[in-house]
Amino acid sequence: MTLVELAERVPDCILAAWVDARTGATLERHARRDDAEIDRMLDVVIEIVRSPERPAHTVLLAPRQVFIARRAAGDRHRVIVVVCERSPNLGLAVALVRSAAEAARGAGRAALEEEGAA
Amino acid sequence: MTAIEALQALRRVPQESCGALVRRRTDGTMAGALLAERGRVCWAVSADSPRRLTDVLVAESDALTIEQVNEVVAQCRRDGTPLGETLLSRGLVSLPVLHRALLHHTCEALERLLRDDAPWAWVEHARYGYDPLLTFSPVEVLAGIQAIANPARAASASARLRAAIGPCRRGLVIERTRGGRVPLAHIGCDELDLTTLSDLAIQSDEVAALGATVGVEVAVAELGDRGELACASWAERDELFVLLCDGELAFNRLLAHAAAMTTNP
Repeated sequence: MTLVELAERVPDCILAAWVDARTGATLERHARRDDAEIDRMLDVVIEIVRSPERPAHTVLLAPRQVFIARRAAGDRHRVIVVVCERSPNLGLAVALVRSAAEAARGAGRAALEEEGAA
Repeated sequence: MTAIEALQALRRVPQESCGALVRRRTDGTMAGALLAERGRVCWAVSADSPRRLTDVLVAESDALTIEQVNEVVAQCRRDGTPLGETLLSRGLVSLPVLHRALLHHTCEALERLLRDDAPWAWVEHARYGYDPLLTFSPVEVLAGIQAIANPARAASASARLRAAIGPCRRGLVIERTRGGRVPLAHIGCDELDLTTLSDLAIQSDEVAALGATVGVEVAVAELGDRGELACASWAERDELFVLLCDGELAFNRLLAHAAAMTTNP
C-alpha cells in the first residue's frame, strides 16, 4: 500500500509519512495540503517515536487530530506516521495503518528475495 | 521529601537476594530496618514507630479485639510461629485485612525511619522466609508512604484513578517532582518493579511533554509484540496517570476507552 493509497483510505487523513526512527528524517511523505502546522505536528510525532526504545505502536489523541505511529513490521527503524482529523472512524484509521506497516514487511521481504535471486 | 527518600532507599535493595537495609546510628543504636526479599518489601521496623502491628491489626479489622491479638502474640512467642500466618490459620483475620494491616504498619515504620539521618547498610540474609503474598511491591510501599505524608492528595489521586480506570485492571498516578517520579496511588500494580515503574514514568512523561505542544490529551501505546499489553497515559498538572491493559485486543480496548474519555468533536 503506497502512502497515497493509505491517505485515500484513512478517513480525513491530513498527512501520511515514512520516517527514519534513528535520524528523524522524513523518508517519504504525502500531505493533503501544505501547511506549517502540519509540519510542526509531524516534527512532534517524529520526536516522540525517534528512540528505538519507544513502543512499536503509539496513538496520540488530541481534541481535533489523531496521530498514529507504527514501526514497520520488518524494520524497526522505519516508522509510518499518519495524522488525521479526529472522527468516530478512529478504529478504521488505526487498522489501516497497521495493515500498511505489515505490508511494509512483505515489501521488504520481497526486495530481499529479489536481491537473493539476482 | 519523604517519598523521594523512600524511592532512594528502595533502590538500594538488591533485586535478587534477601536481607535487611539497616539504619544504624553513630552511637551504635539501631534506628530501624527495612526487610526485603527479591526486591519486595517484607517488613519495616523503626525505633520511633507510632503504632505496633497489633494496634494496626485491630484498627483494620472489624471483628478482632486487642485481647485476641495479644493471646495469639503470646502463643507465637511460645511456639516460635509467625503472627500473620497464625492469625490466618485460626480464622481471626482474612488475607486482605492482614495484607492491608502489614502494609500500613510497614509504611508507617518506614516513614519514621526515613526521618533519621543514620547511613543505610545492606545486610544479606542466608535464606528467604516470607510468604510472597504478604510482601509488598515498591509501588505499594511508595503509594502507602504518600498516603501517610499527604493523605488528602493521595485520596484525591486514588478517586480520580478509580473514575478513569474503565476496562483496565491496573493503573497508577505518579507524582512528578524535581527529585524524581513517585507513585501517588495505584490500582492492581502489586507486581510492578522499580525498573518497570521508572520506564513507564519516563516514557509517559516525555510523551506528555512533547504531545502537549500539539494539544495531545492522551497517548496510547502498545507495549507487547502482539498487542497483548497496552498503556494509556496523560498528565494532569504535576501528576501522570498511567492505565495498563492486558489480554486479547488490549490495545484496541484501551484505545476505545481513551477515545471515549477525551473530548470528541
